[in-house]
Amino acid sequence: MITLTHYLIVSAGLFCIGLYVILAKQNAVQILIGIELMLNAAILNLVAFSKFDKLNNSGQTFALFTIVLAAASTAVALAIVLNVYRRYRTIDPGKVNQLKD
Amino acid sequence: MHTPLPNTDLQTTYYALAAVVLPFVAFLINFMVSSKSSKMSGWISTGAVLMSAVLAAMVFARIWNMQQIHGQQLWFSIGETPVYAGVWLNNLSVLMLLLVTVVAVPVHIYSTAYIKTHENNRYFTYLSLFCFSMLALVVVDSMVLLYAFWELVGFSSYLLIGFWFTRDSAVQANKKAFIMNRIGDIGLLTAIIILFAQYHTFDLVQLFGEKGLLYTSTIKDGLWLPSSSIVPPHNGWVIYGSEGISSVWQYVAFTGIVLAVAAKSAQFPLHTWLPDAMEGPTSVSALIHAATMVAAGVFLLGRVYPMFNTTELDILAVIGCFTAFMAATIALTQNDLKRILAYSTISQLGYMIMAMGINAYSSSLFHLATHAFFKCLLFLCAGVIIHEMQHIKEENELDIDPQNILYMGGLRKKLPVTFVACVVGCLALVGFPLTSGYLSKDGILIQSFEWADGRSAMFRLVPYGIMLTSCLTAFYVARLIFKVFFGEFRLKEILPNVHLHVSDGGWQYTLPLLFLSLCSLFPLFSINPVAYEHAWLYQGFAPSNYLARESAYHMLVPIGINIASVFVAYWAYAVYIQERKLVFPQTSFWFRLSYHQWYIDIFYRNVIANAVVQLGKALFWVDRSVVDGLIELLTKITEMLAALSAWTDRYIVDGTLHLIAATTSAIGNFFRGFQSGKIQYYLFSMLAVILAVFIIKLLI
Repeated sequence: MITLTHYLIVSAGLFCIGLYVILAKQNAVQILIGIELMLNAAILNLVAFSKFDKLNNSGQTFALFTIVLAAASTAVALAIVLNVYRRYRTIDPGKVNQLKD
Repeated sequence: MHTPLPNTDLQTTYYALAAVVLPFVAFLINFMVSSKSSKMSGWISTGAVLMSAVLAAMVFARIWNMQQIHGQQLWFSIGETPVYAGVWLNNLSVLMLLLVTVVAVPVHIYSTAYIKTHENNRYFTYLSLFCFSMLALVVVDSMVLLYAFWELVGFSSYLLIGFWFTRDSAVQANKKAFIMNRIGDIGLLTAIIILFAQYHTFDLVQLFGEKGLLYTSTIKDGLWLPSSSIVPPHNGWVIYGSEGISSVWQYVAFTGIVLAVAAKSAQFPLHTWLPDAMEGPTSVSALIHAATMVAAGVFLLGRVYPMFNTTELDILAVIGCFTAFMAATIALTQNDLKRILAYSTISQLGYMIMAMGINAYSSSLFHLATHAFFKCLLFLCAGVIIHEMQHIKEENELDIDPQNILYMGGLRKKLPVTFVACVVGCLALVGFPLTSGYLSKDGILIQSFEWADGRSAMFRLVPYGIMLTSCLTAFYVARLIFKVFFGEFRLKEILPNVHLHVSDGGWQYTLPLLFLSLCSLFPLFSINPVAYEHAWLYQGFAPSNYLARESAYHMLVPIGINIASVFVAYWAYAVYIQERKLVFPQTSFWFRLSYHQWYIDIFYRNVIANAVVQLGKALFWVDRSVVDGLIELLTKITEMLAALSAWTDRYIVDGTLHLIAATTSAIGNFFRGFQSGKIQYYLFSMLAVILAVFIIKLLI
């Protein structure tokens, strides 16, 4: 039987993968993918915990909102990535360092 | 001034001051306007000293045997003690004032011809400075001023002795004179300080004037009491008798005065500078080293006369007598014309000092005045002779000493005026009747016999010694005259074809000689040519009741001494002109003793100067090895301490700082490592921190 713990393990696994991708990858798009993975881990948690909620489907509703917000933020992020690429001819975040000064 | 002087006195004071200051003005003019090639300086100085002489004569006429004048003004005050400066004109000072100026005038005139034109300016600058110092010395009333001018006189003498500063011997001589005089100056300064400590005043009038402090002061039970009771107010001053100081100090002050007198007046044992001082120009020797400056010592004795007690006067008499005798014996064998005259000056100064010692105060000053004239005359004659000899030497290109009398002879035909003048001077020096020297010198001789009467045999040596000295004087004077003026000209015997173009010279030479010759005869001083008591100059100083000619000495001494002198002079004639062998062989001990000036110079050089040099070397060694050694040790210790502290500084203080800096830098570097500028590292760091926090939380 699948219990809450299994969900949480999967969610933690996703989160760790996302985290790893964010930390290790040198491509902005891949990092965005990592962020998506972490968001999805959070959404999975929301959905899993909604079983213990007193209200019906509130977790799912939150999940939906989150998905929408994630999509929006990804769009914005992609736009930034595009602009970054135009300016620097690269999307490696390690090399985009001219803002620091 | 304390009490305003009456108008006439004030005028007299101004005259005296003008007489003193005029040569100083001449000095300043000559000093500022140094025209090297003109005779102007000579005439400026001569004019100044001539005016001084006139003023001095006016002052003399007003003061002599009349009321003395003492005017003073506050100079400065130290604490409670005011120090006054002023003039004190009494018989003694106006006599000196007149004497110095009157002797200086012919010397100045003589010098205008004697000194070469290009040296004129410098010479007369110095000479005027000397005249000023000497004139100021005799009129001042304060011991401080007296000391200042005493020094100035010594200094100008130093300048003039070394006038020909390119000659090594002149430089040596002026150094010697200066050092000898310094010894005397120390004595004078000591005496002044002691007198001030005792009486709290520098005022000569207050100390030595009539009813001065010295008269009321006594020596009792080994204590020197400033006064037996309260001194009556004098010049508005009241000095209360204090408890007195040890009488030793009185003798110390006396010794100081004696040193000062011995140095200035060339008395044994400080006389050796005077013969050497003859390196100066002859006109300088005439004015300074025969007539005036050397008389300053006698003048000082005259000023401070009241302070001496009987014992001290005896000491003075013995010193004077011994010096007179010693110098006369030395003069017997010297060959240098000026050196003979120098030793005769020392001898005559010995007479004056001795006269002071035997209470013949007035005779001493009388002799001072007469001696000034005839010794100045003799030196000016010597100047003419030396000048002519120098002339012969240069004309014939000879290598001779122009001052050596062995080369002279027979000059009476060539230099008639000089011959006459010189004979007059010499007769006065011997004390022949009808000359001024007879009056003054026989006075001293007679009084010395009277003084020795009723004393022990030791003191009887003094009058006989001085008698003997008179005979010796006659001998060396006769020798001088015969060698220089009689016989044949000796250079001619050696060099038969020598050219002789000599003459007495112009009026600048002959006029001073004639003037001084007249002054060396009796009429200037006394109408009666044989009785010294009738001389006005003698009476000016003597107690008024001292006219009696009671003792037999008044007859015996002058007759005896003159007969002896004539005999001795004839002996000299026999020896030097008739060339009979009636004299000591030139190899005997006595001859050598005299010729080497009693070995005093050699003694000074070998013993005293040597000892001083050795002491200097010893001190140098001490300085080098002990003082410097200590300092070097100190240096080493300091260096070691410095090295230690440098090490501490470098390795401990700096080390600590470096450690702190290195630690800080390491920590900074460690943290800087995180600030890579790469966003993913930041994220990773953040994560690491969060994890660390969680781990810590779990552990706690």
